[in-house]
Amino acid sequence: MDFVINSNLNEQNNCWDVDVTGEIDIFNSAEFKTTLLKLLDEKPLDLSIDCKKLTYIDSTGLGALVAVLKKTKEFEKNVILKNVKPNSAKLFKITSLDKVFKIEGELNE
Amino acid sequence: MNDEKNDIIELTLPINAAYVSAARLTASSVSNRLGFDIDEIEDIKAAVSEACTYVVKYYSSKKEKNFCIKLNISEKQIDISLSVDAATKLSQDEDDMGLCMIKALVDNFELDFNENDHLKISMLKKHNTSSFN
Repeated sequence: MDFVINSNLNEQNNCWDVDVTGEIDIFNSAEFKTTLLKLLDEKPLDLSIDCKKLTYIDSTGLGALVAVLKKTKEFEKNVILKNVKPNSAKLFKITSLDKVFKIEGELNE
Repeated sequence: MNDEKNDIIELTLPINAAYVSAARLTASSVSNRLGFDIDEIEDIKAAVSEACTYVVKYYSSKKEKNFCIKLNISEKQIDISLSVDAATKLSQDEDDMGLCMIKALVDNFELDFNENDHLKISMLKKHNTSSFN
């Protein structure tokens, strides 16, 4: 399964609302990063990423998120990860990236 | 461990990022069928995926074409090995994030190059509950 990204400019909260569905791995992580960086090029705002339907992310996907986070820090914005599933939350913890990203609302299954 | 009860599943895949999901799906399906719990299945799935990613990352631009995944399943554990019959000398990158993740996900992990530069990644995940049928 590949991934699908839906993005919406949330003018009320002044951020990008992004939904990710599917799996991010070495096959598609570059495309994932490019898609998110394009949003920041269009408007440099916070990225609020809903991971409710993100079934898997690997080290290259985490690397893509780190690159996007570095970009947001250039204009003092942030990446907020919402509804992270337990399998992904564990990978954020073992890589200590849970201390780097703002993670809101981990899902319990 | 009773060797007679071991089942062995072997999968040969092209060194291509497009097939990492096939390895992940196989590992997930086999460990699910064998009664590993959901957390163990996720660990096995992620460890296999990261090992494949390591192979793809370092060999996809080289002349090696395929790699082999072997799942050796017994009552108490799953022993996973990935091997590349490599003609290319590869320097080990122990700081690779994927390898660090594997070390945290499995009970035993080894990365070896033998005298012919063949790469072998070995991972062992023990069964917590021993509920095999």
